[in-house]
Parts: sequence; structure tokens; C-alpha cells
Amino acid sequence: MININRLILRKFKNIAGSRYEEILKSYREFFLTEEEMRIPHVESVLLAIDRYSGEVPEGIFRLLEHYSPQRATVIYVIDENVCRLIRDTLGEEDSEKFREREKELAEKFLKNVGSRLNNSGLNWKGDVVFADKTKYIEGSMENYDVLVIGKQYGLESAKTHHISPLVFRIVQHVTKPVVLY
Amino acid sequence: MQTGELLALSVFAGVYAFIISEKLHRTVAAMLGASIILFLNVVPWDKVYEYLDLDTILLLAGMMVVVNIARESGLFEYIAIKTAKFSKGSPLKVLLLFSVVTAVVSAFLDNVTTVLLLTPMLIYITRQMDVNPVPFLLAEVFASNIGGTATLIGDPPNIMIGSAAELSFNEFIFNMTPIAFIDLFITVGIIYLAFRHKISTHKKREEAIKRSIMTLNEEDAIKDRVLFRKSVLIILAIVVGFFLHDTLGIKPAVIALTGASALLLWSGASPEYVLEKVEWATLFFFGGLFIIVGALVETGFIDQVAQWMTGYIHSETQAILMISWFSAFASAIIDNIPFTATMIPLIKAMGGSLNTYPLWWALSLGACLGGNGTAIGASANVVVVGMAYREGIRITFMEFLKIGLIIMITTVAVGSAIIWLKYVGM
Repeated sequence: MININRLILRKFKNIAGSRYEEILKSYREFFLTEEEMRIPHVESVLLAIDRYSGEVPEGIFRLLEHYSPQRATVIYVIDENVCRLIRDTLGEEDSEKFREREKELAEKFLKNVGSRLNNSGLNWKGDVVFADKTKYIEGSMENYDVLVIGKQYGLESAKTHHISPLVFRIVQHVTKPVVLY
Repeated sequence: MQTGELLALSVFAGVYAFIISEKLHRTVAAMLGASIILFLNVVPWDKVYEYLDLDTILLLAGMMVVVNIARESGLFEYIAIKTAKFSKGSPLKVLLLFSVVTAVVSAFLDNVTTVLLLTPMLIYITRQMDVNPVPFLLAEVFASNIGGTATLIGDPPNIMIGSAAELSFNEFIFNMTPIAFIDLFITVGIIYLAFRHKISTHKKREEAIKRSIMTLNEEDAIKDRVLFRKSVLIILAIVVGFFLHDTLGIKPAVIALTGASALLLWSGASPEYVLEKVEWATLFFFGGLFIIVGALVETGFIDQVAQWMTGYIHSETQAILMISWFSAFASAIIDNIPFTATMIPLIKAMGGSLNTYPLWWALSLGACLGGNGTAIGASANVVVVGMAYREGIRITFMEFLKIGLIIMITTVAVGSAIIWLKYVGM
């Protein structure tokens, strides 16, 4: 009497050969693992933006809704080195004008992001800071569980790189999970 | 019975026994059988070319080269992810979309490659949806066999029938595609009715499921964007070529080989690597079978069986019904390739007293759809059941049989009724 299940498995081995393993291997590269599928416990999120970050995609807000953190902070970072450079070259008055304009832009950004976070029912606070774009984020991350940052953060307007070198550095130095958009 | 006939029949029966029991790899069994036939001169060497159907072998080889190159680009994984995303995590949409996509891909590529490439994605999605994967996997198997019925290149029996009866790609489209189309939706309907309680998710979880499926990025599947584009263009050109082969007076095998050569040239892929991945075992299996069945023709055995059969078959209606149902039940138990190889000379021999044109469609219908009857009826079934087993999902022989027989009987009944209406009843 033929064991039908053993026959099927023998046939499977003969027909599929090594192709099955090859195909599984290629799928594993983009399938989420069991661990990745689990939603992590997130208490606090830092969302770092600047004038180059661009619009925060809808998917990020959906992800934050999913995490549902108790504390979400949106920080708009203006490069203090640029402000110093303007002050040293063009003078105090022009430097102040620049600061004001940057701040206005920052507040507009914050307002947009904030209104979207409100819609998602998230408790958030926002701030505009003049600081070193990498050091500030790296230093702040001690107090947060997750960092959300755009690939273009800190990139120059010519956008010669797909991912900003500053973001590369932040990702390498921060020990907490980073969500890139 | 003469010695030659007895020898041919013994080798044929022995090879069939090995193929059914899988005690020997089917290629080894077929090659061994063919070697005995040639060694004993049952088929003389100078007649080998008459029985060796090069149209079939080269068409299969050409398509294998194309698929092997296209696979490297990530094209099929891309299709799988796109299908998953279109479904948006709805079990019913997953069932329907995967069945349709499987059927369409199977209509143009071989069924085993299709299910090998789509099954991991289907298992992944059903795990995300937290539903029983069995109905989805069964629907995929049935859709693959039904899709393969639709075209000249969809399933090896069709390639063999097309080559032997000189039927064009468009004739298959005209005769078999409408049947496959109707049968596909009937099958999905039956699966849905039979498993409707097992394919629903909790309303609350739908949004989370949708989100996790939507995080899959089809662009990640593309390993080589340039190769991806070239593969899509060449596959489309090959399909157009198949549609035009009859008008141009070119054999389908030539279209496939031209496409394969063009893709090899254009992609710059290593021919050693690509040709190494061609399923030589399958091609040699075909070669061996053609010689073994050729021995039955050469010794006159097939003619005698045909004469005996025509003594009992008095009309085309009887012939259509007999061939479609006998082929279906036979193909549910044994490999449809050797079965079709045996039936082809038999139907040819019946040509003296009957119009064989509708009989080819009856054979195609039975041989391709009969595979749905049991878990061992077709290679695609074995592959999906085997893959499921490796992933810890059990589809038992009996579980498959219960639904498979219903699908087989319904689809063959619908198909044979359409063929009868087209060629006899109207």
C-alpha cells in the first residue's frame, strides 16, 4: 500500500527541486518577520523636522496612531551654524531677519503637522530650536523611545543625495529605533 | 500479439507503473524505457525524429529560458505583492484576485513556476489575516490548472495537442479560453460556498491587516529594474507572437525560442547560468515518453486500440463525452503528460471514421482539468500541497479529494457541454 502523503512529498521534491528554497529566500528579503510584525510598546516619540524634510507622509501619522504614544514631540530644528555664519558675514540685523523668517516658516510647518496629529487624537507638543541639527537630535533621544525623521532632513536644497548624510549619522549614533520617511 | 507489440506494451506499462508509484524519478523511468525501446530496435533509430515531438520540447525549452531570466528581475514577486495590495486584506478579494492572477499567469507560463512563485505570498497574507490558508491554497491550485487549460502554452498537454494536431494559439483562445473563464468563476464560487465560514476575518482586525499588507512594497521585489522592463517587453512580444504565429506561418516553438534568444541577448544574462536552470529533467521526460508512445504506434498497437474503440463509438457526441470524461478521471490519477502522449496517436488513428477536431478540445479539457481531481493529479497540486506541508499547513489527500472531485466534475461537465454545443448540438 502506497503511503499517499509520502508519495506527495517525494513528488514535490522531484518537481520543485531547489527552486522552492530559492524562491523562499528571495521572499524573505521583504516579508516581515514575526518580531517585525509585533507592535512595539512606545511611550514617547520625537518627530524631527526642518525646512528640507518636506511634508510628513500620511503613513507616518497612521503609524503613530498605531503606536499611540503618551507623548509626541515635534521639533523643528534651524541650523544655528548658518545663523552664526550670516551674523558674521552680513551683520546682526540681517541675521535677525533671517532668524525671524526661518521661525515663521517653522511655525507654519509645526501648525500643519500639529493639526494632523490632533486629527489622529495624539497628545503632542511642538518647539522650534536653533541648534546643531545632528547633535541636538542625538542628545534628545535619551528621553524618547522612537525617532521619526525624514530622509531629506539636513539636506542642502540641491538634494544631491537620496538620504541626507546627517540622517545617516543620526541613524548610526542613536540607539533607539528610527522611522525614516 | 507480436513480439514487438508485447515489448512496447511491457515497457509502456512498466514506465507508467514507475511514474504512478514515484519509485523512480519520472525522467529516469522515461529515459530507461526509451533506451530499452531503442536498444531492442522496436523503434528504428532513423524513425526517432518522427516520434520525438521537437515542437513541444523546444517550445517548453524556450519558455523555460524566458521565465528563468525574468525571474531574476523579481517580476513574479512584484506581481504577487501587487495582487496582495489590491486585495487590501479582504479575504474574499484575496481569494478572487489570487485565483484570477494565478489563472492568467498560468495561461502563459508553466503552472509549477506560477504556483511556486505565488504560494509563499498567499501563505504570508493568510497568516496576516489570521484565516485558514487551505481554501486559498486550493483555489490557487484549481485556478492554475484552469488557467493552463486556456491557451496553447498554458499546460504541457495543450502544447502536445497543439503540436500534434497543428492547432494554432488563436484556435486555443477561441475554443478553450471561454471555457476556462467560466470554469474559473464557478470554481471560486464553489470554494467560497464550501469554505465561507473559514475565510472571514474579524471586522475589528481588518484595518490592522490592511495596514500590514500595505506596508509591503512591490518596488522592493524588483532586483534589477532594467531587466524587469526588458523581461516585461519580451514576454509581451512573445504573447503577441503567439497570437500572430498562424498568420505568419511560424511554429509556436520558433516564437518561444526567438523570444528566449532576444532576452538572452538584450539582458546580457550568462547563458551558462540561464541554461543550467532549464528543467532538463522535464525535457528528457518528454523525449523519453515520445519514444515509448512512438513504439506503440510503430508496432501498430495504437491502431488496433483505435479500431476497437471506433467499433463502440458511433458519433461525435459519444467521442467527446468519452474522451473528456475518461481523460479527466485518468488525469486525476496519473500524470497528464504521459496520458496525453498516449491519447494523441489514438485520436489521430480515429480520424478515419470521425471528425477529430472537437476531440482535441475534449482531450485538452479532460487532461488539463482532470488534474484538479486529486492531490496527485497535477504537478501544481503536488507543489502547493508540498509547500503548505513545509510551512506546517496540512492538506490531506482526502481533504483535497472531497473538493477536488466536485471542482473537476463541474468544470469538465461545463466544458464538455460547451464543446458539444459548439460542434455537435448547434
